[in-house]
Order: sequence, then C-alpha cells, then structure tokens
Amino acid sequence: MATAWPDKDDNELLALIQDGSSQAFALLVERHTERFYRLAYRYVQSKEAAEDMVQDAFLKLWEDPHRWQADKNTKFTTWFYRVVVNLCLDWQKKKQPLALNEDMPIIDERESADEAMQRKQQQIALESVIAALPERQRTAINLCYDEGLSNQDAADVMAINLKALQSLVMRAKTTLKERLKSYL
Amino acid sequence: MSDHRDEKLESLLRDRRVEAVSPDLATRISLKAQTVPQIQNISLWQSLRQLFAEFHLPKPGYVLASALVLGMVLGFNTSPDSSTIQDANYTTTQSMIAGDEGFL
Repeated sequence: MATAWPDKDDNELLALIQDGSSQAFALLVERHTERFYRLAYRYVQSKEAAEDMVQDAFLKLWEDPHRWQADKNTKFTTWFYRVVVNLCLDWQKKKQPLALNEDMPIIDERESADEAMQRKQQQIALESVIAALPERQRTAINLCYDEGLSNQDAADVMAINLKALQSLVMRAKTTLKERLKSYL
Repeated sequence: MSDHRDEKLESLLRDRRVEAVSPDLATRISLKAQTVPQIQNISLWQSLRQLFAEFHLPKPGYVLASALVLGMVLGFNTSPDSSTIQDANYTTTQSMIAGDEGFL
C-alpha cells in the first residue's frame, strides 16, 4: 500500500520533488520552514531578511532538486541547514554592518518596564557580540543553541567532529563572557 | 562568581528572541515555486537525441544533404593525378620544341 502524503519521510518527498511533484515540495516546505527560519533569523536579525533567506534556499532546491543526493548518507535537514547557513553568511558579507532590530517585541509581559528594558539591552548587546565573532564560532553558537538540533547534528552541519565543535563553542563563550561582562 | 556568569550567559543564549515567522511563509514559497521551472537532469543519450532532433530535416532535405555530403566525399577522395597528366603533357610539348630548336 502506498504511504499517505503526510507520512512520507524527507527522502521520499525529495525523490518525488526530483520527479517534479509540487505537492511533495509544498509538504516539505510546510514541514521545515519554521526551523530554518529560526536559524536564519539568528544570523540576519530581521524577519523579512530571514524569510527571504529561507525562500531562496527552498526555491534553489525546487529549481535544481538534483543538488540533493540521497546516496551521500546525509540527512536532508543537515544538508539544508548548511545551505541556509551559507546563504546567511553570504548575505552578511554583502550587507555589513548587521542592523540589529531594536523594535523586537518583548514576549514576557510579567516583566516590569525596567526589567524589560534591561533585558532588551542585554539582547542587543548579545546579538552585537555574536555578530562580531569569527564565522565558525558564530555558526557553532547559532547551531548549538537551536532547539531540536543536537551537538552531533550541529557538528555534522559544519562538517567537523564533535570535539572541534565543542572547542569552537568554548572559545565563543569565552569571548562572549569577556565582552558582556557588564551584563553578566 | 564565574559559575554565576556561565549560567547567566547560558540562559541569555537559550533565550535569544526570534520574531515569529509569518504564518503564510510556507504557502508563499510553494506558490512562488510554481512560477520557477525545474532544471531537468538528462542523460548523455537523451542529450544526444535532443541534439539530433535539433537538426531534423524533411525528406527532400535529407536527399539534398546526402548529395552534398557524397559530393564532398568524392571531391576529397579524387586522386591528385590530374595535375601529373598536365605536367606530362607540358613536358612532351617542351621536349618537342626543344627537339625543333636542336635542328636550327
């Protein structure tokens, strides 16, 4: 019996996309858009730009679905994280300096105005310091603190081993602690 | 002190704010994809067939093209001996003239 559409795994959907199925593409996009948006947002700090990144990445996949090769023994999400990260890094190189979004809504409504302001300042400072980190340290931090991505997954995305990833995270945190002294 | 700073940094990193994604982003991407043609991966054999299809001629065209090709093949294969014959004729005439001169 044929598998129902929502039960198809990513590899099955990708095989269908390679045969031109727009229904499979729509399902794959629906399934993964949010997680790749979250990652893109951490790089570009703008909703519009992050949505554009994700759209570009998916449209590239649709245009040339044979870029994805199932036989290379990599999970689709691992490969696609890499695609999104590369797009974001290219975007950042062209669009320096990073425009931090100071109008970002504060979600926790239980905080007082002072606390909210302090929290906002901390976030702005944190994003500036992360944006100034070397590329690989920044990617390690962005991937490791992404929900739903294990450290091993993050290492796979960066095509490095787990120890190398942990070392990058450690160095990044040392720099962050140093530069965010007044907020910690 | 250092532990406290580590914890604070951990919590800052875990609580990084991300604006909510537009609920229609996935739909927008799918709709946009419908306007983008897919690149087809074709084999060498298919690409050769397509190449020959580009040069497809009607029947009289094949006759004409075959005649031209045949003509060219025959032309290139013609022995270059004709010039030798001319040279031979020229030599004979020269020797006759030379013979006449000898009598004078």
